Amino acid sequence: MNNNKRTGAESHSLLFSLSVLLLALMLALPFAPQARAGGTEPAAKVVNPGAELWREVRQREAPQAGATQVAGMDSGVLINVGGEQWRQFRMEQLIPAAGALIGGVLGLVVLFHLIKRGVPLEHGRSGNYFLRFKEIDRILHWFVATVFIFLALTGLILLTGRVVLIPVFGHEVFSVIASASKEGHNLFGPLFLVGLIGLLIRFVSKNFPAKGDLGWFLKAGGFVGGKHPSAGFFNAGEKMWFWLVIFVGLTISTTGLILEFPFFGQDRPMMELSLVLHGVGAVLLITGLFGHIYVGTAGMEASLESMTTGYVDVNWARQHHDQWAEACDAEGAVISGEELAKKQRLRGTKNRVPDRPAAEEGR
Amino acid sequence: MITAFIDGPLWYFSLAVFLIGVSWRMFAIFRSGSKPDFSVPRRSVAVSAVMTSLRRFVPRHEMSPRIRLHVVAGYMFHLGLFALLLFAAPHVLFLQENLLGFGWTPMPYWAFILASQIAFTGLLILWLHRLLNPVTRLISDADDHVAAVLTFVVMLTGCLALMEAFTGLRVLHRFSVELLMIYFPFSRLMHAFTFIPSRAYTGALFGRRGVDA
Repeated sequence: MNNNKRTGAESHSLLFSLSVLLLALMLALPFAPQARAGGTEPAAKVVNPGAELWREVRQREAPQAGATQVAGMDSGVLINVGGEQWRQFRMEQLIPAAGALIGGVLGLVVLFHLIKRGVPLEHGRSGNYFLRFKEIDRILHWFVATVFIFLALTGLILLTGRVVLIPVFGHEVFSVIASASKEGHNLFGPLFLVGLIGLLIRFVSKNFPAKGDLGWFLKAGGFVGGKHPSAGFFNAGEKMWFWLVIFVGLTISTTGLILEFPFFGQDRPMMELSLVLHGVGAVLLITGLFGHIYVGTAGMEASLESMTTGYVDVNWARQHHDQWAEACDAEGAVISGEELAKKQRLRGTKNRVPDRPAAEEGR
Repeated sequence: MITAFIDGPLWYFSLAVFLIGVSWRMFAIFRSGSKPDFSVPRRSVAVSAVMTSLRRFVPRHEMSPRIRLHVVAGYMFHLGLFALLLFAAPHVLFLQENLLGFGWTPMPYWAFILASQIAFTGLLILWLHRLLNPVTRLISDADDHVAAVLTFVVMLTGCLALMEAFTGLRVLHRFSVELLMIYFPFSRLMHAFTFIPSRAYTGALFGRRGVDA
């Protein structure tokens, strides 16, 4: 009976082992051809019968374009030799460099903040304010910011998704994400150009080089020498960012339009060059954006208010834009905190009955 | 399974909520009526109702400079949205096959892109204005922001699914539309149906008293 029991247990064990083996085989089977191909034993080589012909076409001395009756750009080119070089440049240089630059600058910004902890208001808040940006300027700024961030995210997916996202999500999910990103990127691209032109019109007059800009640069905005350099409405750093956004933004927009509407006789080298300029410009702006966001938020106390409420504390203005603050003082443009609270209907005033004049309250 | 649920039961549920909800809200408004007015009408009530409904499409002269951006962005968004809703090729086909049984000539691709860009620009400007202007910020509540976000998401998912190459993107768009349809009757999005009766009522009321509204 014991023998029978052992025999039963052994048979169960054998059955289980066989099942596991079968399961392992079933799972391993789909990878078998790849495993064979990648093994030490070389797979039988199948020679492409047309290989000689195509090699001859690609490496010939004669011009790449032949004669054809098919109308269209590059229709006479059998093999685009530059395409492979461009693909290699994109995959082996552009994408790694873009990743290193974006990651590196982001890391530097974080490191800088950990060391310097941002610039505080030296004299605290005064409780009085200057109007810095009108509502139309703030709407324009946030419109461009929203569109640019959307374009940056979708653009980075398109540029680096093959390297970054496919290993995480797989090919199928990535194809969906890439398709959606492409549609969204093409749709919002022209809106960026519209916003850019708006920025140029609204802010160009305040961004021309002025006396003191060189000094601002020489002192690196106050990091060299300790004393905060003098500045007008925009300091030299902000002016540089403005012109970078305008020129690089226009380059990105122009190359984007060349890529999005390939119906105007653009040949392949022009498209490839456009894509490189588009990518390099976008990466440049994205890295610049990290600095811009940092300085506008954690990097400088009370800066963000200028783009939310439109008003800045007088002490902030005197510390960072002393020439502009003096001009505002001369115009008598200062408003008190109470006035600003009334203008802004700050929290807590909601649903409150409007204040009556003191004489009326006394009745 | 999720696709079947979104294309099937959830679609019918959201359609029912939308139709019943909108009908109920409109019925409730019309049923509330108005106090009887025994005065002699100074002007034709019907003409005043129609005139005010039309006049309100143009901002009052005194208000124009202050609300120019608001008006322009409002028209951009609403006209763009209605062009997309009624003349986008996938929408025309959907309405023909699922609801109406007949269709009409859809917009060409370039017009779709242009309409969506105009609508997105308008919606973004309106939303930013809502957030950045102290008065509109004060009178806005969660409903306004939820409605804006939902509308934005519906438009965005629709545009992302434009190539119709992936079921997932189409289903995502449909799901967001269904959420919007369920939310619609309970929100200020109802203004899509109430703005004409509201204008007409105001016009009729004031017209009867001989006042321009």
